[in-house]
Amino acid sequence: MVTARPPWREWVREAEDPARVAEKPEALDDLLVLDCSVGHYGAHVLGGFLGELGAQVVRLEPPGGDPARGWGPPDATVGGEGLAFVAEGRNRRYATLDLAHPEGQALLRALAARADVLIDGFPTGQLDAWGVGYRQLRPLAPRLVYVALATHGQFGPRAAQAGPEYDLIDQALSGLLYITGEPGDAAPEQRPTRVGSWISAYAQAAWAGEATLAALHWRDRPGGTGQMIDVSGAEALMRYLEYTLLLYHTRGEVRERLGIYDLAVSVYTFVPVKDGWAFIAGYTDPNFGAICRIMGRPELAADPRFRTTLDRTVPENRAALREEIAAWSAQYTASEILAKVLADPGPGVVVFGPVNRPTQTLAEEHWWARGCFARLEDPVYGPLLLAQPAWRMTRTPPRLKLPARPAGYHNRDVYARYLGLGPARLAELEARGII
Amino acid sequence: MPGAGDVTRILGHAGCFWQNVSVAFFPQNHGKYHVGIDLHHPDGQALIRKLAARSDILVENFKPGTTDAKWGLGYRQLREINPRLIYVSNSGFGQWGPFAEGRASYDGLAQAVSGLTAISGFEGGPPTKVGNYLGDWFGACLAAMGALAALRWRDRTGEGQFVEMAQCEGLVRALDWTWLYAGLTGRDRPKTGNRDPVHVPSGVYACRDGYVAVVAGADGEFRGLARALGRPELADAEPFRTAAGRREPARAAELDRLIEGWTAARTRGEVEAAARAHGFAAAPVMHGGDQYRDPHFRARGSVWETDDALYGRVVDYGPAPKLSATPARHTRAGRPVGWHNREVLQGLLGLADAEIADLARRGVVGQWADRPGAKPPDEWKGGAPPW
Repeated sequence: MVTARPPWREWVREAEDPARVAEKPEALDDLLVLDCSVGHYGAHVLGGFLGELGAQVVRLEPPGGDPARGWGPPDATVGGEGLAFVAEGRNRRYATLDLAHPEGQALLRALAARADVLIDGFPTGQLDAWGVGYRQLRPLAPRLVYVALATHGQFGPRAAQAGPEYDLIDQALSGLLYITGEPGDAAPEQRPTRVGSWISAYAQAAWAGEATLAALHWRDRPGGTGQMIDVSGAEALMRYLEYTLLLYHTRGEVRERLGIYDLAVSVYTFVPVKDGWAFIAGYTDPNFGAICRIMGRPELAADPRFRTTLDRTVPENRAALREEIAAWSAQYTASEILAKVLADPGPGVVVFGPVNRPTQTLAEEHWWARGCFARLEDPVYGPLLLAQPAWRMTRTPPRLKLPARPAGYHNRDVYARYLGLGPARLAELEARGII
Repeated sequence: MPGAGDVTRILGHAGCFWQNVSVAFFPQNHGKYHVGIDLHHPDGQALIRKLAARSDILVENFKPGTTDAKWGLGYRQLREINPRLIYVSNSGFGQWGPFAEGRASYDGLAQAVSGLTAISGFEGGPPTKVGNYLGDWFGACLAAMGALAALRWRDRTGEGQFVEMAQCEGLVRALDWTWLYAGLTGRDRPKTGNRDPVHVPSGVYACRDGYVAVVAGADGEFRGLARALGRPELADAEPFRTAAGRREPARAAELDRLIEGWTAARTRGEVEAAARAHGFAAAPVMHGGDQYRDPHFRARGSVWETDDALYGRVVDYGPAPKLSATPARHTRAGRPVGWHNREVLQGLLGLADAEIADLARRGVVGQWADRPGAKPPDEWKGGAPPW
């Protein structure tokens, strides 16, 4: 079959063109999401994810603002607010509402009656105690999808005595902390090691976003209704733990941390290069053969210690093989080795790349060509460098429309648009501290 | 592929097979229909076209362009057959762009090039490889969310679309304030080891029976911790009185020493109980065995026991989100290569037995080869297969 079609890469680049996103519609622009949380980064990220896909998201904060507005590194802020809050505070309207006050609760009920989704990032049971939990909202809003996020979830022995929410606590319970880091316990850094970003927030936002959209799909089928979704940050990461549990179930074996090695495959590790560190992998026999060829050491592929992937994953062999590769890699820069890898004719494929510091990632043309980052000159916060949405969609591409805004920035807009409240009524509510 | 099946069927812990299954295969394959079709064969491609004609979502992760140029099964071709189709392509660096040309990727590479490795672990130590395939999992979750958003659009308009997810970009998206900080300061955020970069004191401390994570970020929480440590006066003393004072590195290190001096004489359970009593956060650093025995995870179905028709008792991680009206569930474990060929080819495509037999004879469809990872348990005696 002869066709005059453009090559795939050209076609798909054109179809996804980051410069033309604004010309296309948004997938979720028919949804109203109420984002209610205090000091909950997972809920904060979830509101942004849904907003990136086009939902109208209204962030309801206590008057005075979410304490999470103060979260960030000690040596940099924007507009006096923490970088963590601003980084993920995108694509929503910011309103304030005192949910501890009966009139605030009445306003939330009125908003919920119009909403499709409510995100609950309060301590477990708090909104229920205030009379605006799932049980109380359901009769008023039977089509509402209510998604609650908490470290221990909404039920189970530990849920009743839940403590404060932190990413490190989620990482500990999930098992991810246990399997990350250098083995042994002689040196202070030889212990379970934290993933550097607040990864449980992202894991729970992704699961919660997926579950919310599945629930909406079901709601909109004949006979469908709203429902409650319970997502735990600890379990969100735990579900990423692969064979950790089955290894225990089938062999009574605990999956231990292995530092820079992988339990299942080899070669799959970090090695030194002239200008830092790099990752290298080639674990099937043809791919390992390619590593040996690129190193100019074809005889290694025939070494009885390294011949099959099973041989290469024996711990002593794995370490010995890494020594061989490291002795070679340390003589070159990461880009010199990458050039050798890309020039190799095969058979086999080697996976290789530098361990980038963030500023090095930012220096690579690839991510800018694909529109992964946005530099904004924001009237409220000044210059901002933000990660763009991760999805590409040819018909309804997600987009970054508006960065974070101060607490209550959109009060007039939100309360007029959804509840028809005018300036006099708002001034009165504000005077009494309800908004 | 008929025969050996997908390569993930043989990955695993040093060739650890259980009833001829790699334990690394199950967690991603519960509840699926397993079909063996040779995509290199034109008749195999025709079967995929027929399946795509009546599918809602197609997921693939071949090298960018493979399904399009090599097999005629790309989005451009399949949307002609089914304009309502949502076609989800997963890759390392994306379908296009400078690094999409000839560069392969694994999870570990995504960790490295995204910047995640550089912001994790201890200053001066070796790179920290996150222990699981984090970029694969997070990328998969995002891809599913993107697919469902596309499905909502399709249900509103009838229009399908192409969705792509690059796992490197998934991790780039999961680094919270890393980019904002680099943009403002021109610097890389420092590695802070096990100390949370914002909430201090925090860390992973040795106990009598393992490790425990402790965080006391807010003033009230620190007051509780100071009480538990037997040093209640710290909460009112300079510089520990304020969060800014506690975050000062030398003070934070001093608090780490105090905390570990206290945890070292206690069990994880004792530390957790003290945290509850005094209002700060603590949790055991749990391993697979801890989770297996944990009543909380069992009660929530996050550790899920299936009485499987082929493999018997299987205990694995259950679905993460809990939905009240339409709960996610494990119905059956993964299955050998091509286990559901007949169910799918006949049930979905309406092929007659003779047609399926002909396809099998010609190698277009097929079942397992006689090798671990691909085949049923040795105890399975054939006959009518359990679903």
